[in-house]
This record gives sequence, structure tokens and C-alpha cells, in this order.
Amino acid sequence: QTELRLSHQWSTGDVRHQVAQMIADEVAAANVGLEITIYPSESLFRAREQYNPLSRGQVDMIVYPLSYSGGQRPEYNLTLMPGLVRNHDHAARLNESPFMERIEALMAEDDVMVLVHGYLAGGFASTGDCITRPEHVSGLTTRAAGRAFEEMLAAAGASISSMASSEIYNAMQTGVLQAVNTSSSSFASFRLQEQVACYTPAGDYALWFMYQPVLMNLSTFEGLTEEQQAALTAAAANAEAWYLEQAKAEDAASVAVFREAGVQIAEMTEDDFNAWLALAQESSYPSFVATVPNGQELLDLALSVE
Amino acid sequence: MATLPSAGAARTGNNLFLRIVAGLSTLCGWIAAAMILSAVLITCQMIFIRFVLGQSTIWQTEAVIYLVLASTLLGLPYVQLMRGHVNVDLMPLWTKGPMRKALAFLVLGSSIVIIGVMAFYAYEMWHFAWARGWRSETVWAVRLWIPYLAMPVGFGLYLLQLGADMYALAFGIEKPFGLEDN
Amino acid sequence: MDPLTLGLLVAAVTILVLFSGVSVAAGLLIVAGGFLLVFDGMRSLELMPEIFFGKLNSFALLAIPMFIIMGAAIASTRAGADLYEALERWLTRVPGGLVMSNLGACALFSAMSGSSPATCAAIGKMGIPEMRKRGYSDEVAAGSIAAGGTLGILIPPSVTMIVYGIATETSIGRLFLAGVMPGLLLVGLFMAWSVFHTWRYGNASVLATRVYSMRERLEILPRVIPFIVIIVGVLYAMYGGIATPSETAAVGALLCLLIAMIIYRLWSPAKLWGILRDSTRESVMILFIIGAAGVFSYMLSSLYITQSIAEWISALDVNRWVLLGVVNVFLLIAGFFLPPVAVILMAAPILMPIILAADFDPYWFAVILTINMEIGLISPPVGLNLYVINSIAPDIPLKKILVGSLPYVGCMVLAIVILCIFPGIATWLPDLVMGPI
Ligand code: NA
Ligand code: NA
Repeated sequence: QTELRLSHQWSTGDVRHQVAQMIADEVAAANVGLEITIYPSESLFRAREQYNPLSRGQVDMIVYPLSYSGGQRPEYNLTLMPGLVRNHDHAARLNESPFMERIEALMAEDDVMVLVHGYLAGGFASTGDCITRPEHVSGLTTRAAGRAFEEMLAAAGASISSMASSEIYNAMQTGVLQAVNTSSSSFASFRLQEQVACYTPAGDYALWFMYQPVLMNLSTFEGLTEEQQAALTAAAANAEAWYLEQAKAEDAASVAVFREAGVQIAEMTEDDFNAWLALAQESSYPSFVATVPNGQELLDLALSVE
Repeated sequence: MATLPSAGAARTGNNLFLRIVAGLSTLCGWIAAAMILSAVLITCQMIFIRFVLGQSTIWQTEAVIYLVLASTLLGLPYVQLMRGHVNVDLMPLWTKGPMRKALAFLVLGSSIVIIGVMAFYAYEMWHFAWARGWRSETVWAVRLWIPYLAMPVGFGLYLLQLGADMYALAFGIEKPFGLEDN
Repeated sequence: MDPLTLGLLVAAVTILVLFSGVSVAAGLLIVAGGFLLVFDGMRSLELMPEIFFGKLNSFALLAIPMFIIMGAAIASTRAGADLYEALERWLTRVPGGLVMSNLGACALFSAMSGSSPATCAAIGKMGIPEMRKRGYSDEVAAGSIAAGGTLGILIPPSVTMIVYGIATETSIGRLFLAGVMPGLLLVGLFMAWSVFHTWRYGNASVLATRVYSMRERLEILPRVIPFIVIIVGVLYAMYGGIATPSETAAVGALLCLLIAMIIYRLWSPAKLWGILRDSTRESVMILFIIGAAGVFSYMLSSLYITQSIAEWISALDVNRWVLLGVVNVFLLIAGFFLPPVAVILMAAPILMPIILAADFDPYWFAVILTINMEIGLISPPVGLNLYVINSIAPDIPLKKILVGSLPYVGCMVLAIVILCIFPGIATWLPDLVMGPI
């Protein structure tokens, strides 16, 4: 009987918990002497402090936004970069691309492997007018998730304020914060529909995609019996297909929540998207290239995915 | 009754080693206090920049977090010197004479072991971040070895102060748990 | 070993270690390190500094030293004396007027200080000698200040509410609001008791104080203005869209330092260092416990103890009020031995799922928890306010302080009962200001 520990930061209602639960259930049902215990809601490690314990084998699996470790491996910043991913199907193709192989090779250096690929999308919400174009955020105090987005929004003239996610609701209510940029599922879980006037979800054109895979310690995986590895891989494949489906459904679900609360829903057009992209190309992209030795090559590799 | 935030500083007698360590710990207290004060000022500056000038604030939040963290760690030896770490001294009051002294050695000894473990692995944590050039994942991207440095230094100096307390206890300069014989 | 049995073992060892006289924070590290070493292996020890650092790597914690500085800065001026005297001039004709002035001063001071010992010290320095001089018994003088000081963590701002907010991911602004009405309720109960007590046992010397003229009463009012400025300034920053609650703390700290320097002429570097030194000492002590409790709760979670206890309790098929009663008794006992911050950090991860599953409001529960912690502050063997009284008036024996504060403990228990019957006392104001949850 092998026991594996899986850590993540979300509550048990979250889609990312359900992905982990799916793997745990299927592996248990396969009867190969493998048991996965899930530690949700940061009950083992704090959200941003899971990667190193995974790399050292102090936890076996994590569901983790890879860009959290962008300070250690700047290449990971590409997994939360404006305009790199157009939609969920594009994200799925990116997961199978040479670009992702390069990222996986870097993880392998840290003794980490990917079990389930997955991207989640997000959008904007504001307490005032709708945000679809860069000029709309000018002068607004904004909280963005991720360094590349902060750079792009700052370039658009927004004041960036970093604060804990638990403070967002309060800050929007009192007016400390006027706009937020984060994932679809976070919008609903922070109950921001009660505080915002307009929501710009991920639609046909979306800017914000974050890579949030299920990762596993490579040596731990290799130490499993062949039977166990097969069961785990099979469960992971099923989970990945389901994760992609749910990722699409999350966007729609968040729109429903906001619409029901009487929040105006805005849509980004192709022209809007290109305006953001042009801004990113002169802010976050060059900044990324400057921090990574072969940054341009990696960026081109990612951009070359159709 | 337990010893307390109010129960006077450690005794150094006329011992040079104890006085040097006490001096170091006091210096740490000054630095820690200065760090807290600068955290206050930086936070107010951040609110001013954001609310009054409407400009982006990039580095302030992170700087303030690291200042408070470093102040806590550097404050450890100072607070130990001032006997400000709160404790429950039921057993010290139940025991007396040699028993109490033995208990004091046990308590100080196990504190030294655990703080030693913390200091050692904190050093490794710092060294890793330094050798690999890790940075924080924010726009400011501060080199992590800088805030991490507070860990080995703070725990290290705390260890030194605990060592001095052990020395003072062993040579009878300080009474076990600072309690008078009854 | 099954996690529940292991949990019992951890509890027994923790009690044993903490009673040994080791500092609370180091004790928690020792227990956590020991159990990790035995049950998770040597390699888990290298995680300890990382978890410690991670626990303290939070902007919200900034508010703790800041709210402590607020209290310390004002406490080192004669502002407390002014406040106290103003209340006294207005309340002398009431039976037990002096006790009421002290309680009122404690309550007002609590609106600026996030910590109970600071509140207790600030008002006690004038209050205790004055009450004794006017013939109040040692019990009444010490007990009312010890108990009044505990309001520091219930009336916002509050260090323990911040810690609770971080541990349970609840809104700190909302928690602060939830403490306002229960704080007033408690002040009311304290005052009602002191009026009754003086009327019942009052002696002539207590009542025969001088009577102030209207002019004398009005004269003193301007000296209370700095207090109003600070309280209004902080509230405006917090709820007026200028800053988040944690950021507001820095505004308050700066405001208090400036007021101390400008209005009360506190210029000497030695005095300013005194303020910073006292604040640093208290905040380092609290933050060290927070970091160490983080490592301790990692150990509990890693060994699956937290989860097993929560599962076990939620499987108990009991009435939710019985559950709350059990939780309450647990908190009271923990409060006897541990400082509030340590109790909240260790208990919150275990209690929170249970409280939510039983359909209790997390903000209402924060108030219940806080009142329990207030009782802990004035109960031996670890009661921070008792130490403060002891340092102000070393000649009052502990027994007299305890006897004097006992009736106030009764008031707090009564307040808990009232809050259980009328939970709206805690939830009404946050709902009004911030909208229902
Ligand atoms: Na307070
Ligand atoms: Na107590």
C-alpha cells in the first residue's frame, strides 16, 4: 500500500479540487495499492510555498499555478502571459507543443513532472465603466494576478495595488480598488458580483489564461510499480479531458452568477484584444525576454503554436 | 505566577561575554524597532502615492512585509534578553532547589536545540536562494536571499543569547527562571 | 498510530512542554519538531524555517505591530490621564463613578489600541493609584482595570481579530465592525455591575469626592480632542476608501506618533525609543508565536490530526448549542494557559469547519471567541493583563486581583449568553455597513 499526499490551495467545491479528487478516486478503484490523500485549502502548505516541497519529495503531488514559481524559474512566467493563449482549445494544443516540452524539461530538473495539463481563463471586473480596452484601466487602482499582467496594466496607466485575495472584496466595496483581473472561478468565490458594476469574462477573445497543472514528484512516480504508474496515468488522462471541459464551463458559470446579480456583462472584440496584445508586446514581453537568457526563443516557440 | 513581559532583563553580572552578547542583542532590538518604524512610514507613503497621486505602487507592499519579518527575527534575541517571550511557569514554581535548576537546564537546552535546528535549516534555505539566484515572483522581483538572510541571522543571534543565558545559569549569575528561592 | 490517538498524545506532550517554563513559541517549535522527526522523518525538519517564514510572509500581519504602536504612543503621553480625568469630572456623582470613569477610559482607549495589555497599562497607571487613594478597595481597583483592559481586543482595532481574519480568511474590516456592539454591551455590563456593587457595599469615603462645577467639566473637554481625531481619522481611512484595514494601521500608528510628539511634546529620543522598544517587544513576542504556531499546525495537518478531529466532531450527532458549549469550554481552558494569539492560531483550523458546518456565523463566532480570550487574559496561570497589573501595583497580591476581576468574568459569561440569544448584536453593524454576507 503506497500513500501519496496531494496539496492544493482551493476549497473542496473548486474544480481544481475535483480534478484531484477524480484522480484519487480512480486510482483507488483501480486497486493497485495506491492511495492519494488530498490536503485542500492550504491545509498543508501555503499556496505559493508548495513547489519546493514537491521538488524535494516532501509532498507527492500538487495542483499549482506554475507561474507562482516564476521567481525561481523565470521561464515559468510564460504560463501566465497576456495574449499567449487565445481560447481553451488553443490552450489544449499548447499543452502538447514543443514549448510545453521545454517547460517540462525545466520541471524535470527540479524532479517534477506534469500529471494533468490544464489552463483556466479569467477576465476583468470593475466598479465603474466596463473594461475592454487598455485605455479603460487608465487611472484605475487595479489588482492583477501575475507579474506579466501587472506590467501590462501599469503600461496602460493603471495604478497597481497588490493585496491579499481575502482583502479584494472589502477594498472594492470601500473604493480602495476599482478594478480586478483574475480567474473566472476566483471572481465568483470572492463574491465580487456583489461589488462590481461590470464584468468582462473570458469569451471568444480572452487575455488571461493561467497554466494550473497537477504536478508530481518525478522520483516518487518512478518509484511506483508499473501497475501503479499505469493506473495513475490512466486516471490523469481522464482527469485532463474533464478539466478542459470544466475550464470552458467555468467561464459560462461565472457569467451566469454575475448576470443574475445584475452586473453588466461586457465583451472583448478582436480589435480590443489586439490593442491589449500590442501593449503587451511593448511591456510584458520585452520584460520577460530581458529576464531569461533564451527568452525570445521560448516566447517565439509559444507564439508559434497555432 | 508566570514570568512576564514585565520581569526585568537578563543579568550579566560583570562578565565580559555576557555583556557583549547583551550588547549585540540590544543592538538587534534597535534595528528591529527601526525596521518597524520604516514599515509604518513606507505604508503611509504607499497610501499617499496611490490615493493622493494615483500612481502605481510597485515595491512597497513587499518591502513592508520583509521589514516586519526581519524585525521579528532580529527582535528575537532582544526580546529574549528582556525576558519578553511569554511562558507558563507552573513546573518551575512546583519545583525548587536542584530540581528547579535541572528543569531550567532542560528548558534552555531544548530551546537551544530547536533554535539551532531552525538556524541551521534557515541557513540552508538562504544559501539555496542565494546560490540559485531566486527572486520573488513580483514585478519588483527582489533577490530572495536578502529577506531570507534575516532567518539565519535572527535565529543565530537568538541562539547566541540563549547560549549566554545557559552560561549565566551554569555560573550562578542568573537564578533558574529568574525566580527567587522561596 | 491512528490520528485521533496521536492527537491525544500531541495534546498531552504539548501541555507538558508548555508547563515546563519554556517560552510558548519555542515550546510549540519543540513539540512540532519532535513529532515531525518521529513521524515524518528527518527531512521534514528542513521545512520548518520555510513554513515559519511563509507564515509571517503576509501583509495583513503588518497591522499587529502598527496597532500596538498606536496604543504605546498614546500610553506614553498624558492623554490617558486627560481622558480619565474628563470622564471623572462627568461621572463623580454616580455611585462608583471613579470605577465607571476607569471602565469608560478603558473602552475609549480600546478604540485606539489593538492590544489588551497596552490598554490595561495605559489606563491602569493613573486609574489604580487614584482609586486606591479615594478609598476603593484593592480588589475593585485592580479588578476593574484588569477587566476593562481586556476590551482592547474586542473593541476595534484588535490584534486578535486580525490573527483570526488571517487564520480563517475572513474580512478583517468586517470582524472589526462585529466587535463594536458586543464591546459596548460588555462595557455596559461592567458599568452596571460596578454601580450595583458600589451601591450595595459603597462606603461614605468612596462617595464623598469633590463635586465639579459645570465650568470645570467643560474646561476639560478640549483635552479629549486628540482621541476623537485619532479614532475618526482611523475609521475614515478604513471605511472611507483610502486604505485597507492593514494599511490603516500604519496611518493610525503614524497619527498617534505625531500627536504624541506635537500635541504632547514627546520629543526626547529616549521617550520615543521607549515607545518603539515596548511596541517591538510586544509585537516580536506575538509574531514569534504566530510563526511557531504555523509550524505547529503544519505538524498537526501533516499527521492528519486536524482533519481527523474535525471529522470526528462533525460526526458527533449533537445539538449545535451543545457543540458550541463544548467549544466554549475548550476555549476557556485553553485561555487559562495560553495567550490569545496562540489559542486562535491553534484552534481556528480545527474549529472553523465545525462552526461553519453547524451553521454559525464566522463573524459572530469571532466575537464569542474573543470574549473567551478576554477571560483568559485575566485568569491564571498565563494572563497577560494580570502581569500588567502586577507591574503597575506590585503590592496588590494576585489573589486580590483575581477576586476583584471575578465579577467581570461573570459579566463576560453573561455577554456570551446574551450573544447566543441575540446574535444580531454582533452581526447587525457589519451587515448594515458592509451589506449582508
Ligand atoms: Na482595540
Ligand atoms: Na489565562
